[in-house]
Amino acid sequence: MRQDKILSSFLQHELLLTKYHLNQAELPTKVRDAINSEIPIVKTIGLIVEALEKQIPETDNSLRNIVLQYLNTAAV
Amino acid sequence: MIIKKIIIENYLCYYGIKEFDLSEGLNIIVGENGEGKTKFFEAIDWLLNGDSNNLELLISAKALNEVSIGEVFRVKVLMEVIPEYGGTASISKSFIVKKSNNGDSIISNYIIEGVERNNIGERSIIDGKTLLERIFPFEIRKYSLFKGESDLEIFKSEAALSNLINLFSDAKHYDKYSTKGEFLRLKSETAVATATKNIDTNKNNYELLEREIKRLEDSKYDITVHLNITEEEIIKVNENLEDAEQHVKNAEALKTINEKIFNIEDKIKKCNSHIDENYTTALFDEKWFLVHFEPIQRKFAEKITNLSQEKRRLQSDFDKKKGIKEGERKAKMELLNNVIPLPIGVPSKAHLEEMLKDEVCKVCNRPVEKDSEPYKFMIKRLEEYIQSQKPDVENEEEKVLFEHNYINRLESLSISHEDNLKQLRSTEQQIKDWFLLNEKLKVEINELEEQLVKQKEERNKILGNSSLAAEKLSDVLKNYNAWQKYLLGKEREKLEYSSKLHDLDIQLHSKRTEKDGIDLKSAHSFLIKTRDILRDIETIFKDTKQNKFNEFIEKLQLKSNSIFSQINIDSFTGIIKFTKKKRGDKDAIEIELQENGRVFYKPNQSLLTSMYISILFAISELSAEVKERYPMIFDAPTSSFGESKTSEFLNLIHETKGQKILLIKDFLITNKETRNLEVKKEFQNVKRDKAFWIRLQRPFNKQNLTTLNTEIITL
Repeated sequence: MRQDKILSSFLQHELLLTKYHLNQAELPTKVRDAINSEIPIVKTIGLIVEALEKQIPETDNSLRNIVLQYLNTAAV
Repeated sequence: MIIKKIIIENYLCYYGIKEFDLSEGLNIIVGENGEGKTKFFEAIDWLLNGDSNNLELLISAKALNEVSIGEVFRVKVLMEVIPEYGGTASISKSFIVKKSNNGDSIISNYIIEGVERNNIGERSIIDGKTLLERIFPFEIRKYSLFKGESDLEIFKSEAALSNLINLFSDAKHYDKYSTKGEFLRLKSETAVATATKNIDTNKNNYELLEREIKRLEDSKYDITVHLNITEEEIIKVNENLEDAEQHVKNAEALKTINEKIFNIEDKIKKCNSHIDENYTTALFDEKWFLVHFEPIQRKFAEKITNLSQEKRRLQSDFDKKKGIKEGERKAKMELLNNVIPLPIGVPSKAHLEEMLKDEVCKVCNRPVEKDSEPYKFMIKRLEEYIQSQKPDVENEEEKVLFEHNYINRLESLSISHEDNLKQLRSTEQQIKDWFLLNEKLKVEINELEEQLVKQKEERNKILGNSSLAAEKLSDVLKNYNAWQKYLLGKEREKLEYSSKLHDLDIQLHSKRTEKDGIDLKSAHSFLIKTRDILRDIETIFKDTKQNKFNEFIEKLQLKSNSIFSQINIDSFTGIIKFTKKKRGDKDAIEIELQENGRVFYKPNQSLLTSMYISILFAISELSAEVKERYPMIFDAPTSSFGESKTSEFLNLIHETKGQKILLIKDFLITNKETRNLEVKKEFQNVKRDKAFWIRLQRPFNKQNLTTLNTEIITL
């Protein structure tokens, strides 16, 4: 699926290895799996891709609520 | 999207209804010049992009001629397509024509109609414009129709290729992630800042920092804007310089040629001024008419001499007979020794006096000593002369033989002519020299004029190679030097702005770190963590978008070069190199043809055309991986190719994916016996999915539009 392809292209970024010490092997390849990930940056990217690749994409406010709500909770 | 059928009705040379059933692969339409190829292309262009201007110019003259006054007919172009989403769709553009009383046309406004049929055959009528935008969007259409080789040069504009890549690559899709990533990061930054400022002890210092950061960011923005403007100006000046460099070479050459032309014209002018052919005037003023006078003078002098001798002889006889004084006669006889004496007065009185004074006989050029015999003789001659001038009182009453001294006058005349002879003898040479000089000057003028013609041809070549007019070309040199100075200034300006930006970045980094430090101590850790993650996500999104763009360029370069080398299978091509450049805050792509890492100097038109076509096909193929395919229509794209290269080119296109419609004039030949136009046998070897031959129905009168009717032969 297109959204999985987009997710993968983001998760290939070197920052995930250099800063977050995440190996490609342990990263999800599907948006569905990314949303269920316990790694905040992976899940956040999954949430954003899902929100923007919907047939009717989320609005800015809705996207902000989804992302900040999750991150603020997850990062406590 | 695939074009299944094109129907053209009463559109210019397409009289009646003409149908092209197209294949989804390579469609080749061959036709001689002026037999309907370009009109086919223009008909599609009118359907897709045309407006209501000059509709009367699109009417088939034959159709108008054949209907009666008051009768109506339709001009229409219809395209039946298979959209990517299935079913079929047709779009047509048409207008009605009515023949008026005076034979002219009255035309309606045009209408665009759209019809869709779904997979189960249900038909629905849709607004034509809406349907067209859906199945064949404008931004795609403008990169689908190419008329002639020059249209293919869209890549000369760096922005055009960048747009095209954005349009066809999936990099465009990542734009929204960049925007949303930045939006989310800003929200998290605001949340952190709000939390930090809620603590009173931080407030003043924090607000001061925020203001300072804001000031630095504003300065950075201003400097960036100025830097962008400067960079754009540098690009423009560089483009001008690059453009001018061609002209400068020309301008320098033109300057040299103009100087040569001026010198030659000046020489011609001088030569012309030296040519004097006023021979009639010279005939009299320069006494040319006397050129053959010498023999006449000789005869004249001879006659005078004879006459003089005769006169003296007669006088002598007369004197004898008259009994002139014996002493005198004796003396004379002694002196003359029976020889006929010279007339009295020869040499003249003045000459005798001079000779006596100088004691030299200037007749025989010998010294004459005083009181010598010759000296005395000379004195005697002088006295005789003086005596002869005195009236002869004694013989006053005597009869004289010659009353007038005409012979003497004639002798003087002859002597004076003798003096002129020297000058006359040079006249013939003078005339010869004069004619010779004129001839020489004429030959020189002819040579100079030949040189002038050559130099002017050379100048025309220079002007022909230049897109500038002659007077503008001479200005190029001036502009070129001014642009170079301007460029230097701008480069310095760019350096200053870049340095300022660097300083601002350092200051900003320092202030942000200070602010982050306060945040870290004050704000909730979850807010800090959220912000940090969103900062990283923004970086990931922006980098990924950039990577996608770069990947597409890499693939495009690879694909383009692969197609490029196949088109030019037997010839040297070089490598198409795509270079991404920053133009202000925008990306631009520069295309260069390189050989061993260096820019290919002046590639020929055929190579350039095949390069542009290769890029277009590469984009078309790569875009099909992420987007739907669209047809490409080319009118005479290979006019700089030879027939064999065209053949190879068509065979290669046949291997590429996607629908292509090519209009070419190759593969036709006139049969020498029948004088009929035929398709060459070689065309059988050209791979294609469908081929048509369009030609004017014979006979026709090329000066009468009402006889023109293009017919379609499916090959």
